[in-house]
Order: sequence, then C-alpha cells, then structure tokens
Amino acid sequence: MAVYLVERSVFLEWIGMLARHERVYFPQPVSESSFRFNRVGSRSLLALEDFDDSSRVKPFRASACVPPPVRSLAPDNELLFTFRRDKAGDCLLAPVLDNSRRILAGVRPCDLKAIALMDRFQRAGIPDPYYLARRDHTLIIGHDCLQPCDEYCFCEAAGSLAWREGADIFLTPQPQARLLVEPLTDQGAVLLADAGFPICEDVKGCRARAAARRATPFGRRFAAPLAQVMQVVAGSWDSAVWEQHADRCFSCGTCNLVCPTCSCFDVRDDFNVEDPGSGRRTRRRDACMLEDFAEVAGGHNFRKSTAARQRHRVMRKFVYLPDRFGGTAFCVGCGRCRRQCTVAIDIFDIATDLLAGAGEGT
Amino acid sequence: MKNVLLRPRISFFDMAGCEGCQLAILDCEDIFLELVDLVEIVEFREAMSETAPRFDIAFVEGSIHREIDADRLRDIRARSRWLVALGGCACHGNVQARANGWSPAENLQRVHGLDTVHRVQTDNRYWPLWAHTRVRALHEVVKVDYLLRGCPVDRDEFLHLVKRLLAGSRPGFAAQPVCVECRRHGHECVFLHGETCLGQVTWGGCGAVCIAGGYRCDGCRGLLPNANLASHRQLLRERGLDPKTIDQRYRLFLSGEITAQDAPDEQ
Repeated sequence: MAVYLVERSVFLEWIGMLARHERVYFPQPVSESSFRFNRVGSRSLLALEDFDDSSRVKPFRASACVPPPVRSLAPDNELLFTFRRDKAGDCLLAPVLDNSRRILAGVRPCDLKAIALMDRFQRAGIPDPYYLARRDHTLIIGHDCLQPCDEYCFCEAAGSLAWREGADIFLTPQPQARLLVEPLTDQGAVLLADAGFPICEDVKGCRARAAARRATPFGRRFAAPLAQVMQVVAGSWDSAVWEQHADRCFSCGTCNLVCPTCSCFDVRDDFNVEDPGSGRRTRRRDACMLEDFAEVAGGHNFRKSTAARQRHRVMRKFVYLPDRFGGTAFCVGCGRCRRQCTVAIDIFDIATDLLAGAGEGT
Repeated sequence: MKNVLLRPRISFFDMAGCEGCQLAILDCEDIFLELVDLVEIVEFREAMSETAPRFDIAFVEGSIHREIDADRLRDIRARSRWLVALGGCACHGNVQARANGWSPAENLQRVHGLDTVHRVQTDNRYWPLWAHTRVRALHEVVKVDYLLRGCPVDRDEFLHLVKRLLAGSRPGFAAQPVCVECRRHGHECVFLHGETCLGQVTWGGCGAVCIAGGYRCDGCRGLLPNANLASHRQLLRERGLDPKTIDQRYRLFLSGEITAQDAPDEQ
C-alpha cells in the first residue's frame, strides 16, 4: 500500500473536506483544557500538535478528551429499542441499530488499544449488536504520540504506545509540519487513494525520525515489567493497599465513566404517556465504584465497602478481563481516571503500592 | 394489573417554599396537556381553585415550620394513596433549614431585632410565621413514598415518576452523585479549573444543569447516603477554602442533613 508524506495543514483540510459528506469525529475544544470527539463540519477547527512540540499539556491529545473516543461507539443514553403491545397482548420490539458510516480521526495509541480490546470484549459471549453495528461501520484514523500527554500518562508501561491494531490509517508527525500517512487496512488505502497526497519516498527514514524524536522514558514506568505487575495484582486480594486508597474515595464513579475500557451499563424503560403499554428502552453507562452497583434484590450488596469496589475495578483491568482476552492488560495507561479524580486516586499508584508490598513479602 | 391507575386523581399542595417547583411542573408545557388527559388534577392552588376529599397522588412542596402545617400534612397523608415530596424544601428542608442552626429567639433577633423577641414573649396575639421551633422535611412528619429532589425539581424526574405510577410500576431514583451526571455528559471536572463543588456528596439526577451552565454544584438535591464528608471537607480545605466558608457552602442547602458531627468547625 502506498504511504504518503503530507503537509499537516493539507491533511487537516482533507479531513474537513471529508466532513462535508461523511460523519467525521475529531477532538473539538469544549473549554480551554477540555476536548471531545465531536462530529465536525467543514468549518470546524482541526489541529494536531507539531513534531517539535514538547510542551507538557497538549490540547488535541488523547487524554484531554474526557469521554474517550470509544464512547462514540456506545454513546450515553443510547436508544436500544422501542416496544409496544399489540391487540393480542404480545410485546413487539423494534431494535434501533446505528449502521451509518463514521470516521474517528485523531485517535491515539492508548485509545486504539482500548477500542481493539472493547471489540474483543463486545464480540465475545453474547455479542453487543449496538456497539458492533457502529464499530463495523467505523473507520479509524490513528495518530502517534511523540511526547506523553502529561505527568499522569503511563501508556508505554501499560503496553499501549506501540499499538496500531484497529487503525485503518495511521499518522506520524514529521519535521516541517508534515505527517506520514500510512494506510493499515484496505479500507484506509481506498479512502486515501483519491486524496492526491504526495507519495513518501523514504518511509523507513520517516519512521526512524519519529522514533528518535520520541521521549524516553515515555511517561511513568512501573518498577517491574507489566506481566509481573499483573501477576502481583492477581495475588493481592487480601492486601491492605485497597483500604489505603479507599479512605478518601467518594465512590463517585468518575474513574469508571472516563475509562476507555469500562463498558458496564444500566437500562431504563420509559413508557409513553398516551399508551403505557408502549415506550422505549435506553441504556446509560454505569460504574462499579458506585455504592449501589453490586446491590441486588433484597438489599444485599456484594461489594459494600469502597475498598472492595476499588479492588474490583483494578482487578478487572489487570486480572479478570486479561484472563479472558489473551492476557493483555485492560488498563491502557491513558491516565484519565487519575486526571479526573478530585482526590488523586491513581490506578498507577495502586499498582505500584501492590508491587512494593509484594517485594517486601519476598 | 391491579396496580394500574385509571385516571388517577392528582393534587398539589404547598407548605413553606417558593412554589417554584409547581411552576417547574407547569413548565412541562409540551407534555402537560397529554398528561392532563390521563390524570385528573383535583387540587392545585397554583393552577385552579377547586378542592377534593381524596386523591391517588399528592405532591407536597415546601418544608414544615409550624405545627398547624404538620397537621395539614397529616391530613393530606390520610387522604392520599401516595405522597410525593416535591422539591428540596419538602425533601430535606433546603435553605430554610439553615434556621435550625440557631434557637428561634436568636433567629428572630437577628432578622427583626430584639423588640420582636420581647413581643413574642409578652403579646399572646403576636406569633409571626417565622417564630417556628424547627424546620422539618416532610418525612420527619409523615411517611413519604417518593422524593423528587432539587431546587427546583427536574421535569424529567417528575415525568418519570408520574409515568411509572400510571403504568403500575415503581419509580426509581438512583443514589448516585452529581459526578455521574457530569461524566455521562462529558463535562470535565470543575475542580480542574480551580472551582470547588459539592457534586461528590450530592444526589444526582439533575443532568448536572448547573455545571453545564458554567457554574458548580451547591448541593440543592440533598446529601447522598454515606457521602464521604470527611474527605470532601479535607479536599475543600486543600483547595484553599477556610473552615467558615466550607460550613457556609454545606449549610446553604444541606443544613437539614449536615449534623453537628459532620460540621466540626461550626461555631
């Protein structure tokens, strides 16, 4: 497949052109420091950081987008189906699947990995048709990171920085405000074929330039390899660390709700006023840190203490889901949970403390 | 199907409050006429003059200040199948409950001067409305079936409750903080912008309208069960709020729920 070397402004113009007749999502500013993957129009402000940009906090970077891009594939409050009762009293359901084509552009490696992991998760067991309908009609344009987002990023330690799977096109910043534009799938190649971008003569050289420019170490590092971290977390059921990170927790659910690999939801039925036999079912994101998450009929709560919920959240990222899906950590190291937590509870710190505790034990 | 109501009789009452919640409900214009077809509104001072002996759903707005109001509430309770506390005042006393922090005589003096205090003591014909002993939420007087929180109530929650009762199922309101609303709507936390907020300890369900409008959460929907107030107080201190300001922030809407133990800095 042909690889292109394009001026960044030309590429962004092309995205704007695409947005005229396609549904394109790109990080859009909603405040000074906050961005969202919103649908863009041909006149939207589109920007990507420069090759030489090494300032610490960057707009348009993955983590600045509080709702991760994977939420575009499972939006909050999505309509699942409408229902009504016919004359015989049978309930008729009409599912609502979103099969419209969309392009997610500017997705960073951590979020690429999150989407790839959620693809596996949603296809397994009882597949989620709502997520998959959107996913199967989504084209993703990824973008490399040469600098960590900020002091909370640990994507390299979490094994996400080199992630490419799931991207149809991948962009790498180059000197002189240019981008290396690589199609990674046939769909990506087809989209780029008509763009008229100049072919890159030295792909290896371009990749090497970016690799040389990349910060090392990239973000925070665990004191041990990721596999060992995961092993330690798995053996930490009775650790005192869980309590230490629960004292100041509000159980507000923010860490779950901003996590790109959290997908739990709650459903709600709304009846039509004129005919209570008809209505709609919607679903919204739920969060296992909320106190009532594991409460069941009769009022029993399986995870009543904050520490138990905290343990569950961390175990799910480093143990439960990796065990089911090929051993890859479901924490992608984006740092969103830490950044949005008002009392600075940090999954990186929890893992680090568990690791230190395990070290003392041996 | 025995729970399904055929044209339920609905009534609205107001105790001590601003009647803003009733207005918020009259504001459901787009759906109100449809709703009126399905229910029979039998008492609603804000909208009509008739009264009725019995009803299926009684919405009561406002807090209870005088014993005469408590008696009126008991009477409403006895006449209604369901009783719904409408808005922050009815649910937890709201701003009025600030008065509970001081004795009635102190409040009287603060607002109307020492003369008034003397007159209350000596003139048996003089008993002003504000000379109550304690501001109470409805549930401190009678059994309340459902709470519609907020100042004012959220129209979607109101419609949810009415539709559920009409359909013969149970309305449900999750005990979740305002943070959940913010994250669902994709708002970045206001703490990241140097603002401080009561969202972590406050009942959600409001759609985080105040944060969406560029403000913060002041806690009008009441204190969340098991809210981690110790941590929240610590956080506000770390963000530069002095103990007095913190108490004022808590006491604005949450006086009815913050106990002396929760507010150790209160003088």
